[in-house]
Amino acid sequence: MKTNRLFKIALRGLGRNKLRTFLMMIGIVIGISALTLIISAGLGAQQRVMNRVKKFGLQSMMVFAGGGREMGRPTGGQPTTTLTLRDAEAIKREVKTIDKVAPFNRKGNAEIKYLDKSTTATVFGITPSWAYVWDWDVQSGDFISESDMDNLKRVCLVGPTVQKELFGDENSIGQQIRIGNVPFEVKGVMQPKGTSPGGGDMDNRVNIPLTTFMRRVENVDYIFGIKILLTSTSQMEQTAENISAILRERHTIAEGMPDDFRIVTPEEVTQFAEKVTGTFDIFLVLIAGIALIAGGVVVANIMLISVNERKKEIGLRKAVGARSKDIKLQFLFESVAVTLAGGIIGIILGGIGAQILQMVTGMPVSVSWVGIVIGLVSSSLVGIIAGMQPASHAAKLQPVESLRS
Amino acid sequence: MNHTIIQAKNLSKIYDKDGSAQVIAVDNVSLEIYQGEFVAIMGASGSGKSTLMNILGCLDKPDSGTLILDGSEVGNLVDEQLAKIRNQKIGFVFQSFNLLARTSALENVELPLIYSDKQNITQLAKDALQAVGLADRLDHYPSELSSGQQQRVAIARALVNNPEIIFADEPTGNLDTRSSLEIVALFSELNQAGRTIVLVTHEADIATHTRRIIKIADGKIISDEANHNPVDAKTELEKIANAEVANENK
Repeated sequence: MKTNRLFKIALRGLGRNKLRTFLMMIGIVIGISALTLIISAGLGAQQRVMNRVKKFGLQSMMVFAGGGREMGRPTGGQPTTTLTLRDAEAIKREVKTIDKVAPFNRKGNAEIKYLDKSTTATVFGITPSWAYVWDWDVQSGDFISESDMDNLKRVCLVGPTVQKELFGDENSIGQQIRIGNVPFEVKGVMQPKGTSPGGGDMDNRVNIPLTTFMRRVENVDYIFGIKILLTSTSQMEQTAENISAILRERHTIAEGMPDDFRIVTPEEVTQFAEKVTGTFDIFLVLIAGIALIAGGVVVANIMLISVNERKKEIGLRKAVGARSKDIKLQFLFESVAVTLAGGIIGIILGGIGAQILQMVTGMPVSVSWVGIVIGLVSSSLVGIIAGMQPASHAAKLQPVESLRS
Repeated sequence: MNHTIIQAKNLSKIYDKDGSAQVIAVDNVSLEIYQGEFVAIMGASGSGKSTLMNILGCLDKPDSGTLILDGSEVGNLVDEQLAKIRNQKIGFVFQSFNLLARTSALENVELPLIYSDKQNITQLAKDALQAVGLADRLDHYPSELSSGQQQRVAIARALVNNPEIIFADEPTGNLDTRSSLEIVALFSELNQAGRTIVLVTHEADIATHTRRIIKIADGKIISDEANHNPVDAKTELEKIANAEVANENK
């Protein structure tokens, strides 16, 4: 009850000097809006990374042909020809912690035609295990079967982007399309998957049986990579080492020589994605923190000036029965009310700023309760810390001396 | 005789000035004030009368001596207890009113109630303002009131918690003759209703309205006499009013 009254007094005190209140608040508003903006942008980036890692799968890893490359991005030049379908079978056979493997090959920028329409897409040679390993099935039609593989059938699964480009809303299943000049029958339409960790459109694809890809399209006997699904998320490192050992032996790589393949784990995907999204900087948080501290110093200073200006008021309050504690609380409430209000305004401005940032730069932002809670807590804390000294000073004033001033 | 509200024994207060010269503001003062009294503490500026009042009103602490206020020994009390005494038992009226600026008369009067446990704060404050004749000025800021009215708001504030005793430190010091008389008349009225009032003043004619005059010089009581025929402020006000009417009719 009494605390409630003191809080009202504090608010009235602030209301009596609006300019002073505004000046106290402004630094906090700036600090908290910066903090909110940075947290929102940081969380947005983090969420994007997490989405990517999730898309990659926490229980899986990838083996790519060719060493010393960035994940999924051949540096050009001669393709590495050493990774084969047999390697994939051997890995599956010999490593106990593996659930299933999905070897694949790919060809970028292939011309895809249907009647008089054409588009460019990436052609993937895949196996029936792909659906399970990638958790990526067809949304209509049938997936590639073992018999499609065995018979080198010219069938394909189109991604939603390709479907849209070539067929629009028409049913594509059973239609003939051409990859380059080779005719393929559309067997199904893939489920949409969105953007890849590398940023490409995973729906602008045409999937064909891996055997058909190797013999009829590219005429090669090597594969581009293997996606490996593990039985569990543990023993990631051990499994990677086992795979590495098997491949080095099969490729007869002498000790001390570099790998001609690269194993990518979810951890690496995370790091990679973070690199792509741009590092969410501790540095920026530091700047916001400094802005907030500066705001707090301003609050502390103005509060101290305010206490000195209002000595008479304090003396009077004590003369009519205010305890030192009441005076202290009154001034603490004043400073916390100012910083908290500043914090709320800052959160709102920061949130709006984050939305604008997203609209202008396309950077993903996420205004979440984490940012709001951090904003509210830190602004209240600044208020308490900044108000403590002035409030104690006010509480210690002697009524007679203060009244005389 | 009514019961003793204030019992002061050998109170002294010494100020050090620059560490060398000592000023004895209150020098071994003993006095008693009884319930229902209307006392003037008189003295020249610097005589120590205000310091004495501050000590009696628990705003200041004596360097030596004891003070018993309404039965409890003040020297032994801690901050919280002193605050409670100032809140419940004492009302202060100051020379410079000490109203909070940009705060309505009503809110100024509510101030002591805020620090009490009382409910119906607003109603009590309204009643107090009514008692000082300002029922129609509740929402006025001090800057919108005359000096006399401001002092009456301050008196309402002193009254609002129904204290045992009211201390007024030069309450008419900033007022013109007429307003001064009005304030003194108000104090007389309150005293007649049973309120104990201690009025500190250096003006002899203000003191003549009280019923006991204590004179202070150099921190010591030099006389303490009953005033059997206090001047009635109301009569004086009427005289002034009549004189004004006569002036206008000339």
